[in-house]
Amino acid sequence: MNIGKQFKEGLVTNNPVLVQLLGMCSTMAITTSFFNGLGMGLSVLIILTLSNIIISAIRKIVPDKIRIAMFIVVIACFVTCVDLSLQAFVPALSKALGVFLPLIVVNCIILGRAEAFCYKNGVLASTFDGIFQGLGYTVVLLIMCVVREFLGSGAFGGGVFNGGKGFQIFPEQYGAKILTLPVGGFICLACLIAAMQWALTRPKKKEESK
Amino acid sequence: MEITSLLSISLGAILVNNFIFSQFLGCCPFLGVSKKLDTAMGMGIAVTFVMGLASAITWIVNEFILVKFDLLYMQTVVFILVIAALVQFIEMFLQKSMPALYTALGIYLPLITTNCAVLGVALLNVQNQYNFIESTVYGITGGLGFLLAIVLFAAVRERNVFADCPKCFEGFPIALITAGLMALSFMGFSGLSVWG
Amino acid sequence: MNNIVIAILVLGIMGGVFGLILAIASKVFEVKKDPREEEILGHLAGANCGGCGFAGCSACAAAIVAGKAPVNACAPAGGENAAAIAQIMGVSVGATEKKVAFVRCNGGTNAKKRYEYRGVKDCIGATKIAAGPLDCSFGCLGFGSCVEACKFGAMSIGPNGTAVADPEKCTDCMACAAACPRKLITAVPYASKVHVACSNKDKGKAATSVCAASCIGCGLCEKNCKFDAIHVTDNLAVIDYAKCKNCKVCTKVCPRGAISPIPTPEEKEKFKAVMKAQAEKKAEAAAAAKAAEDAPKA
Repeated sequence: MNIGKQFKEGLVTNNPVLVQLLGMCSTMAITTSFFNGLGMGLSVLIILTLSNIIISAIRKIVPDKIRIAMFIVVIACFVTCVDLSLQAFVPALSKALGVFLPLIVVNCIILGRAEAFCYKNGVLASTFDGIFQGLGYTVVLLIMCVVREFLGSGAFGGGVFNGGKGFQIFPEQYGAKILTLPVGGFICLACLIAAMQWALTRPKKKEESK
Repeated sequence: MEITSLLSISLGAILVNNFIFSQFLGCCPFLGVSKKLDTAMGMGIAVTFVMGLASAITWIVNEFILVKFDLLYMQTVVFILVIAALVQFIEMFLQKSMPALYTALGIYLPLITTNCAVLGVALLNVQNQYNFIESTVYGITGGLGFLLAIVLFAAVRERNVFADCPKCFEGFPIALITAGLMALSFMGFSGLSVWG
Repeated sequence: MNNIVIAILVLGIMGGVFGLILAIASKVFEVKKDPREEEILGHLAGANCGGCGFAGCSACAAAIVAGKAPVNACAPAGGENAAAIAQIMGVSVGATEKKVAFVRCNGGTNAKKRYEYRGVKDCIGATKIAAGPLDCSFGCLGFGSCVEACKFGAMSIGPNGTAVADPEKCTDCMACAAACPRKLITAVPYASKVHVACSNKDKGKAATSVCAASCIGCGLCEKNCKFDAIHVTDNLAVIDYAKCKNCKVCTKVCPRGAISPIPTPEEKEKFKAVMKAQAEKKAEAAAAAKAAEDAPKA
């Protein structure tokens, strides 16, 4: 259980969104402002870590045939807790995320990591796996938010910095509004995945040319 | 609840607020199962079927159990349990009574349990406070919108394979850009309201 | 406190009810599967190539168990697996000859291009545009639809631009033949080494003008074959594999190099020299016989 290796995997080489291609629904829908992205990313990180801990703790006693149902129940419990907490303490975020917060239950990342990692590894390794994969997801969300917000409306950090208004880098009317629409989500994610694919195949090319 | 309100819900679900291109619900199977036209068609039909049934049953459970006992905070857990059980039941039922349909659609059914669209439509029904008929119609037409989107997308993706493409864009990135352009074209329907 | 109890009760009862419904359903809707199906499925190739004519390996296994398919329906599985399946089913399997695919065209760089084609790199698509970019309406376009169709990696585009089948990897599923829009791919016995690598049914000048390696139907191969194994029908040479002994004489006499394995120039020269020597010997013998005939008269 190499923490450094898990860190690198979670953030770069096995990034849940850019490499494993999981959890794309929320990535494209949420990333219209920095506040949303940060909130969603941290929610998923917390839910992922907690459910990883519980699932790897009970993995020995869960019968094989109903394991998916049990995973879903555990994840649903934590999602409900986080959902209710956000409704109480950060209602603006809850309203902005809308139906995507309860939909974290069926987020492929959490179910995928539960199936692929937690079912076969111990509690400590699963905890770190949850934290790092969640971090990878959050980082991707933040990058997309920044790009879409900056190029779309000229702002940076909307909802978080500058008392909630964000820094207006250039006037809003010069922004490419299309990036804040669904189209922009698809295209932005496509470019990010392409960049990741290019980055991951580059060292191999270098080795081949040597 | 008149026919016009049902028609406007249908129009909204299929064109104006398409589940994939406007609301981003159901993207994972949309991108995963759309490499060939036949599999896309199968997936679309299976999703429509499950969405309709799930809408109906979750509405009933919500109305007669959750609201009665003031347990609305349990919606997420109960809905996902209902959907998982429903899909399992449908799979067994199809395997026994309609084997031809099972061989055509059966393999997609387990994928639909974790489909955002199914749980999403159940939650949206509650959010929009639809009654039983409206919920079921929203579920079925939402599925039809998904079917339209995935079939169109698969048709384009099949041609994409033969086109020249920068190496790092091959596979998912170019598919996502295609989907984005299709979302752009579907934006043309925004604001369309025939029946008010 | 009351709320918590109600919540636990409601969820517990719901879970119990769903579990019960599913348990009953699994008994009521049970589909009895023949255990032999699983075993047979293990012996099949598992590539879901459709070569057996059924929709996937599970469908083929079900058909074999139902008696609707022969035990050797799966060509890619090979003789050993067919024998194993035969044992499971309790029948005997007849000896099957191994067949592989062969692409009947060696045009490529030899063939004349009618126009420069820029479009979808797919043979089926290219054929539809003004009958294809080659002058020869029978020949291989080399865009690789068959390569795409082959699930075993046996098809590739050869050095001269036509498709080539690797007989070692080929499993005779014939997916390539289905994909080829010009129907150039046929099944030939694995043991045969001589094949006619042309499908051009035009005669003489029409065939020579479209490709440097086309069969013109001259009949030299038919005249020189000692085993009566090759005949020209429809201006195209056809080999009868039952009679062919792989002697390769036809490959060497063919003036166009349309029969594979195509001989190298050295081999051809050697062969010509041998034929010349034989002809001279024959002429000498004929002259000697004539002289012997004339001598008693004198």
